[in-house]
Amino acid sequence: MLEEVFETFRKWIDNRHEYARAWKERTQNKVVGYFCTYVPEEILYAANILPVRILGSHEPPTVTEPYIFAMYCHLCRDCLAQGLKGKFNYVNGIVEGQSCLHLRQAFNAWRLHIPTDFAHYIYIPHGVQNPHAIQYLTQEFAKFKKALEDWTGKKITNEDLDRGIRIMNKNRELMRRVYEYRKLDNPKITGLEAMEMVLSSQMTDKEEHSKLLERLLEELPNRKLNRNPGVRLMIIGSEDDDRVFMKNVEALGATFVIDEHCTGSRYLWDDVVPDEDRLFAIASRYVKRIACPSKDWAEFTRVNHAVRLAKEFKVQGTLVIQNKFCDPHGIEIPPLRDALGSIGVPTYPLEFDVTVPWGQFRTRVEAFLETLTGLEELF
Amino acid sequence: MSERSSEFWRWREYRHTQPNMDWNQAKIVTAGIDIGSVGSKAAIILDGQLYAYSVMRTGGVSEETAFKVMNWALEGTGLKTENLHQVVGTGYGRVNIPFANKTITEIACHARGAHYIYGPSVRTVLDIGGQDCKAIRCDNKGKVMSFLMNDKCAAGTGRGLEVFSDLIRIPIEEVGKVSLNVTEEPPPVSNTCVIFAKAESVALLRQGWPKEKVAAAYHLAMVDRIIDLLTKVGIEKDFVITGGVAKNIGIATRLETNLGIKPLEPELDPILAGAIGAALFANALYEKQLGLR
Repeated sequence: MLEEVFETFRKWIDNRHEYARAWKERTQNKVVGYFCTYVPEEILYAANILPVRILGSHEPPTVTEPYIFAMYCHLCRDCLAQGLKGKFNYVNGIVEGQSCLHLRQAFNAWRLHIPTDFAHYIYIPHGVQNPHAIQYLTQEFAKFKKALEDWTGKKITNEDLDRGIRIMNKNRELMRRVYEYRKLDNPKITGLEAMEMVLSSQMTDKEEHSKLLERLLEELPNRKLNRNPGVRLMIIGSEDDDRVFMKNVEALGATFVIDEHCTGSRYLWDDVVPDEDRLFAIASRYVKRIACPSKDWAEFTRVNHAVRLAKEFKVQGTLVIQNKFCDPHGIEIPPLRDALGSIGVPTYPLEFDVTVPWGQFRTRVEAFLETLTGLEELF
Repeated sequence: MSERSSEFWRWREYRHTQPNMDWNQAKIVTAGIDIGSVGSKAAIILDGQLYAYSVMRTGGVSEETAFKVMNWALEGTGLKTENLHQVVGTGYGRVNIPFANKTITEIACHARGAHYIYGPSVRTVLDIGGQDCKAIRCDNKGKVMSFLMNDKCAAGTGRGLEVFSDLIRIPIEEVGKVSLNVTEEPPPVSNTCVIFAKAESVALLRQGWPKEKVAAAYHLAMVDRIIDLLTKVGIEKDFVITGGVAKNIGIATRLETNLGIKPLEPELDPILAGAIGAALFANALYEKQLGLR
C-alpha cells in the first residue's frame, strides 16, 4: 500500500504530460505551465486552473541554440527545449514569476516562438527584503488575478482565493509532516523518495496529491526501510530534479535527510497566513518565504536557514549543487561553506549540467563520504 | 622505428621487485590496484613496506587490465593472488577489479600514497592523472582534509599531453624538457578544451613557431589551469605532485616558478602513489580485521 504511494509519485513524474492531458479532458478546465516557484499557485487554483511546473528532461537540448544563449543555465535551456519540441502542447498558457534572467529568457523565447493563448509575467520583486515588497507584490498579484479573470471570463472571488490558499497550504503542510520522518536516526523515507514526492506535487492536482499524502502519513510510522542510512547528507543549491544522481549517491552508503531546493523543502516550507486581504496574505507568503538566492540580499538569510536545517536533521555533510552558469547559487557557496563549517558540517560543491558525468561525480562524492565515515581514521 | 610510425604518446611500462625483501617472512601481504583512465598500477606491500610494483597502459577492458597489471607485479616473486591477505582497488576502474576486497577513491589513496613516498610533512598533493587533476589537502597522517577536481575536459591532464606529444612528434617523456628550451615564455594556448588547445597549437606551428615554443605555450596553459585548482583548495607546504604527469619537468618547473613553491623530489615513481595508498589501506583494513588497530 505504502510502496504503491511512492510508485504513484514516480509514475506521475514519468507520465506528467499524460496526467495533465487526462486531467484537462476530465475536468474541461485549463492547464497553465509555470517556470518558477514564485508563481502563486493559490491564484491559479482559485481560477480552477491546474498549474504544472515546466521542467527539463535531462536530455541534451539540441533545439534551443537560436533562442537562448548557450551560457545560460541548462535548466532554462532544457525547459525551453520541452516547449519547442511540443512536449507541453496541452498547456493553455504559461506564467513566470520573476526570479532570474535565465528563466525570464526561457519564458520570453517560449512566448515569442510557441503559440499559446495566455502568457503572463509577474514582476516578483527582487528586493524582497525591502519594506515595500509585500505592498508592491500585492498589486502585482492583483494584476495577475485580473489577467486570469479576463482570460477565463470568470470572476475570482474571495471564496475562490480561500479555496486556493487552503489547497496549497494543506499540500505543503502534509509534505512538511512527511519531512519530519527524515529527522529520525533511521529515516522513514530516502532523499530520492522525498524528491519524487515534491516533484510530483508540482505536476499534479494538489487535491489528488494530498489524498495520497494522507495515506502515506497513515502508514509511514510503521515503515522500516531495509537499508543502512549511512552518512546523513543535506543537498542544497540550484533547481535540482536529477533523480538519477539522488539514487546513485544514496547507493554509495548515504541518505539525503534534508534538502534546500525549490524542488524540495523551499517549495513547501512556508504557508499563507490568512488575512482579510487575500492577495496581501498570498503576497506576504511569497515575500517572506525561504528566498531563492536571486532575491536573498542584502542579507544571506538562507544561510542561517541552512544551518538550522543541518542541526534539526542531524546532517553530517552537505553537497552544494550549482547549475552551470547559475550565478546566484554560485555566490552563496562561500557563505554556506563557512556557516555550515562553523557547526562542523563540511560542504562539497558540485557543478551540474544537463547531464551529470556520474563517473567523475561518483569519485568526488565517494571521496567526500570517505572523509565522513572514519575510513580515514584507520591510520 | 621511423618517425612516421613512432607512437610519441607512449610512455614506458615496467615492473620492479625490491631486492632484499622476502614475502615469506612477512606477516601481512596486501596489494593495491589503481586502474586509471590511461595508466594502471599495482603495488604489493609486506607489513606496510613496498615490495613489488608494475605500471602499464590501461586497456579497453578494465577487468583484463586488472589481472594483467596484478600478475605482472607478482611475476618472479613466487607470490600468487591467493597469498594476498587483502586487495584494495582504486582509480576510475576500481569497480571493475574482480579480486578486490574493497574499493577506495583515488583521492584518499593518493593522499596516503604521497604520505608514504614523500613523508609526513606533505600538506598539499597535486595528482595529475590521465583524465583529471586533483588538488588534495591532507594532514600529517595523510588524511584527506579537503579536495577539488577539475571539470569534465581533459585539458590540463595526462591524456591531453599525450595528444599534444603526438601532434608535435616529440616523445612524451621528453616533451616537458623540450618545452623549457625557450628564452622567454610565450602566451599560453587555450586551456578550456584539449581539442581547442590542439587546434591552437596546430595554428602556431603553421605560423612558424618552433616546436619548443609551442610546447612551452601548451605546458603553460596546463599549468595555469592546475594553479586555478590549487588556488581554490589552498596551497600549503610541503607540496608534492603525484600521477604520471609528475614526471614532466616542464610542468613541475613552471609550477615552481609560478607558485613560488618547490615541489618535493620523489625517490619513487609518483605514478605509483594511488596503488601504494590502496595497498596501505588494504594493510590497515586487514590489521583492523585482526584486531591490531
